[in-house]
Amino acid sequence: MAARMSRNIRLYGTMIQASIRAQFQYRYAFFMNILGWAMSYAGTAITMWTVLYRFQELHGWTFWQLLFLFALSVLSWGVCVIFFFHFRSMDQYILNGTFDRFLIRPIHPFFHFMAMKFDVGAFGQLLFSIIALCLAASHLHLQWQLLDVFVLIGAILGGTCIQGGLIILISAAAFWTTRSERLYWVIMFPAKSMMNYPLSIYPRLLQWLVTYLIPFAFVNYFPAIVLLGKAKSRSVQVFGEISPVIGLVFFYICYRIWMAGLNRYKSAGS
Amino acid sequence: MTRRLRMYLEFSRKSFQRSAVYRFDAWTRLFANIIFLFMWGFIWYGLYAGKLTTSGTSFHTMLSYILISQALSGLHGAATPLWEIQERVRTGDIAMEIVRPFDYPLKVLFSDFGSMFFYFLVAILPLYASLGFFFHPVMPHTASGWLLFLLSAFLGYLIRYSIELTFGLFTFWLVETGGVEDIFYFSVSLLSGTTVPLWFFPHWLRVLAEWLPFQGIFFVPDSIFVGLLSRQQAFQQILLQILWICITYGILRFVWRRAVTKVVVQGG
Repeated sequence: MAARMSRNIRLYGTMIQASIRAQFQYRYAFFMNILGWAMSYAGTAITMWTVLYRFQELHGWTFWQLLFLFALSVLSWGVCVIFFFHFRSMDQYILNGTFDRFLIRPIHPFFHFMAMKFDVGAFGQLLFSIIALCLAASHLHLQWQLLDVFVLIGAILGGTCIQGGLIILISAAAFWTTRSERLYWVIMFPAKSMMNYPLSIYPRLLQWLVTYLIPFAFVNYFPAIVLLGKAKSRSVQVFGEISPVIGLVFFYICYRIWMAGLNRYKSAGS
Repeated sequence: MTRRLRMYLEFSRKSFQRSAVYRFDAWTRLFANIIFLFMWGFIWYGLYAGKLTTSGTSFHTMLSYILISQALSGLHGAATPLWEIQERVRTGDIAMEIVRPFDYPLKVLFSDFGSMFFYFLVAILPLYASLGFFFHPVMPHTASGWLLFLLSAFLGYLIRYSIELTFGLFTFWLVETGGVEDIFYFSVSLLSGTTVPLWFFPHWLRVLAEWLPFQGIFFVPDSIFVGLLSRQQAFQQILLQILWICITYGILRFVWRRAVTKVVVQGG
């Protein structure tokens, strides 16, 4: 078991090294990509600022608190992009018949597909989110206790697992419908955008949905409430703290669904 | 002249038919449009909570603004997106279009008319007509008001088309277009007033937006729709839109001419 683990870790290391080298071949593209991502998130933050300019607050959230909430989700999204973002275009591999090569090698297919790319472009997300998070935290004069540090790390881990799990779930749809990229852009991207604003502005049904069914609320909303000292009840406080647990469970469920889809998969190739 | 027009209308017909074949894509696109409408509806509802009028605009007017704005931007979404033009340049598919006996920028425009018309009929019209039935939005109540709005919305689309295609053609010079794309999308989403109308902007940003062509894309038609412009102001804004079309279309033609020679150089 331990030997297999260490072999897999070494393999992952080798494969992502190849992926990083490939992305570094086009150095200009590499920097533009990072800059592009950082700029597009900064654009969303500027829109937020403009929205709040006249009204000052949205359901008791000031601009800096909103920025904190937004940056928290971009931070874990950045980590998620590094490992899982390429899953969204798995449909291309299935349609072209090139997916089969992940099945005939002596590596676990899920692991193999995951190790295929290590998206360094995501440093744009990390760059933006870390700067924005620090700016917001210093403007809000947040006091960081030990528990807060754990909540923050937990939110990054939980957010990565929840959003990664969702991408995997969407890619698994390609096993049944041969479509995934489009599903990402029309379902997950808009749904993710909604979570950039505090959940409390949306109707009850939606709050319930993203808490108990698709746990988006654990990516940034509940942890941010704890970190910003907005938790009004003990249960909300707990919700903010258990983000990594929810994330791991959700990720595992999505992974099982992906494997179920893989077992059903019949090659499109000739 | 009429023969040429008939040829371009044939492109519209073909792309209308193509959209009908891929109608599943239209439904999924509509789904995303509904989510964004829902999101901005609730953001504005939250902002207005407790305050009935801010800056002289009631929530009812604001909701109407968001409705018409999302309807228009949904409609624009059926046109050829920026990344597709970039992809055509990058893969070299565009070279095949250049050797054919038609003008490529005009072909894109007329094809977009076809796919947008299809999307309007099957998605935008049914959805927003029923939403209008429930919410009773503020809208033009005279035939001439409607005409002004439709004209302005059409001109707004032409501005967007000119700018978007120009940005797409930059791919001829830049291999990687990441940053260019983001400048375009940011400008269209903020400075055109799709989600935040210009009257809520800080003064300096408003002045900046008024000096740029983007406000002609959504802000002008939306404001005419919710009746925030007097007849005379509406005429002025429409004239300004026409001026911007002349400028942006002029730039598009210039960039296109340069791009074509670029292909010849590479194709040797």
